[in-house]
Amino acid sequence: MIIFLTLLRREIKRFLKVIIQTVVSPIVSSFLYLLVFGVSLGASVQLKDGMVYLAFLIPGLMVMGLINNAFQNSSSSVVTSKFSGDLEDLRVAPIPHYYIIWAMGIGGVFRGSLVAIISGLVGSVFYYIQQHEILPIAHPFWMIYFFISGGLIFAFLGIFVAFIAKTFDQLSAFSTFILLPLTYLGGVFISIQSLPEIWQMLSKLNPLFYLINGFRYSILGKSDVGLNVSAMVSLVGLVITFLMAQLALKKGSFSRW
Amino acid sequence: MKALEVINLKKTYTDKVAGLPVEALKGINLSIDKGSIFGLLGPNGAGKTTLIGAITTLEEPTSGDVRVFGESVIKDPLKTKMHTGVVLQEVVNTGFFSVEEILDFQSGYYGLYKNKEQCDYLMQKLSLYEHREKKVKQLSGGMKRRLMIAKALVHKPKLLLLDEPTAGVDVGLRESLWKFVHELKAEGISILLTTHYLEEAEKMCDHVAIIHKGQLLFNGTPENMISTYSHKKLILIMKSGETREYIESNRLGIAEMLAKYEIDIAEIHDLKIEEGRLEDAFSKMVGT
Repeated sequence: MIIFLTLLRREIKRFLKVIIQTVVSPIVSSFLYLLVFGVSLGASVQLKDGMVYLAFLIPGLMVMGLINNAFQNSSSSVVTSKFSGDLEDLRVAPIPHYYIIWAMGIGGVFRGSLVAIISGLVGSVFYYIQQHEILPIAHPFWMIYFFISGGLIFAFLGIFVAFIAKTFDQLSAFSTFILLPLTYLGGVFISIQSLPEIWQMLSKLNPLFYLINGFRYSILGKSDVGLNVSAMVSLVGLVITFLMAQLALKKGSFSRW
Repeated sequence: MKALEVINLKKTYTDKVAGLPVEALKGINLSIDKGSIFGLLGPNGAGKTTLIGAITTLEEPTSGDVRVFGESVIKDPLKTKMHTGVVLQEVVNTGFFSVEEILDFQSGYYGLYKNKEQCDYLMQKLSLYEHREKKVKQLSGGMKRRLMIAKALVHKPKLLLLDEPTAGVDVGLRESLWKFVHELKAEGISILLTTHYLEEAEKMCDHVAIIHKGQLLFNGTPENMISTYSHKKLILIMKSGETREYIESNRLGIAEMLAKYEIDIAEIHDLKIEEGRLEDAFSKMVGT
């Protein structure tokens, strides 16, 4: 247990040492999204059921903050360790692989949740100013469920990509060409019901769509897809990405870049 | 029981550029006695670091086994790693943490909580205590090396692997490091070291092995290696003013050499002997 807690402590301490870059910067981005899209443009957006666009946007931005930061946390932990050479310290020490995966995973959830919660609080202030009422949380249990599962999925994915990547470019390409489009097309800013049918079908192939909608359901009590489907897809995603991270540690390189 | 046994260890990998298989280790056999210092010598690319990689599980061997205090590194790596401390060749440049934090984390990796006493002892012993709040990038090259040694010792290992621990280190620091290694030996720690400083290996090691192109060319005591593979030079200054030089096996004594070359002692004004060194023997064996 001491070994695991040390790894976890190291993960958390690492990102807190550069808190401006790891926490403050994504919160500033969320603030700007809320201001520009939620407050300014959102006033002219009409959603089904008369939902306020700002209320729709807040859970989406929270998930975006959660998954991006969970992914960045674990992937940058592996990559900086590859640069500095201290990944070899983990390899030569008596540490089972699953300790490393869970420590990096929970570290990712911690950072992702911190960013998401603060973004959510900022969003709630905007919502209160605009609507003169507090944005309620419809299903707190499910919110925690999607926080944990979403954070872990993307932290595990970060481990996988960082271990498999042979250069910094490859890691960056994954973020730019896969993670970012999936996030934007997964329903952070828009409801898929406003899309043409073909795009609705394609969106349903995006696993992030289920995570975002599950999380949105936990706050607003409604979303584009059923809760059970979202919960199940997240659980399957969690198992698959954990196995991918395991494989990466077994087959990937611990050596320096 | 031996501290370390390497049994018919082979490692083959594919050269990424040429796409051809390369035999980095060709069936290495060696063992280290408890409490001894074993020097693994060889030119660059001989297979020293690959061998250390196989012992520490950084490299997966193609076949063969490595046992640390009787336990297989392949079958039970978590157990063998608890007994082993490693100082790898390349310096680690952890950017985020201070010396003190790094040693604290390193202790935790071995299941040790609140290991301050040992960490403080090592920092003091290795002259790092006054730099304990500095980050790695603020340390000099020598301090970084000492930090790596401290990291390898936080869990009080019974076997210490030192891969070129003095590479790029100045003379004064090298001497203090070797003194420290001797102290570790006196504490009963078994040590495997690789070094390019053959003179030091000759003084330090109880046992040496020469590895070249993945094969062991010699495995024995430094004295045995010198007497077998190097030569001594006898320089005679005769009363006539003539200087003569005779090169012979280290096994021959001066009297035997004089007898062999039928030299009359009465004709000798002065003589000088240049003893064979490990370096000579090494050069002869690996052809450098």
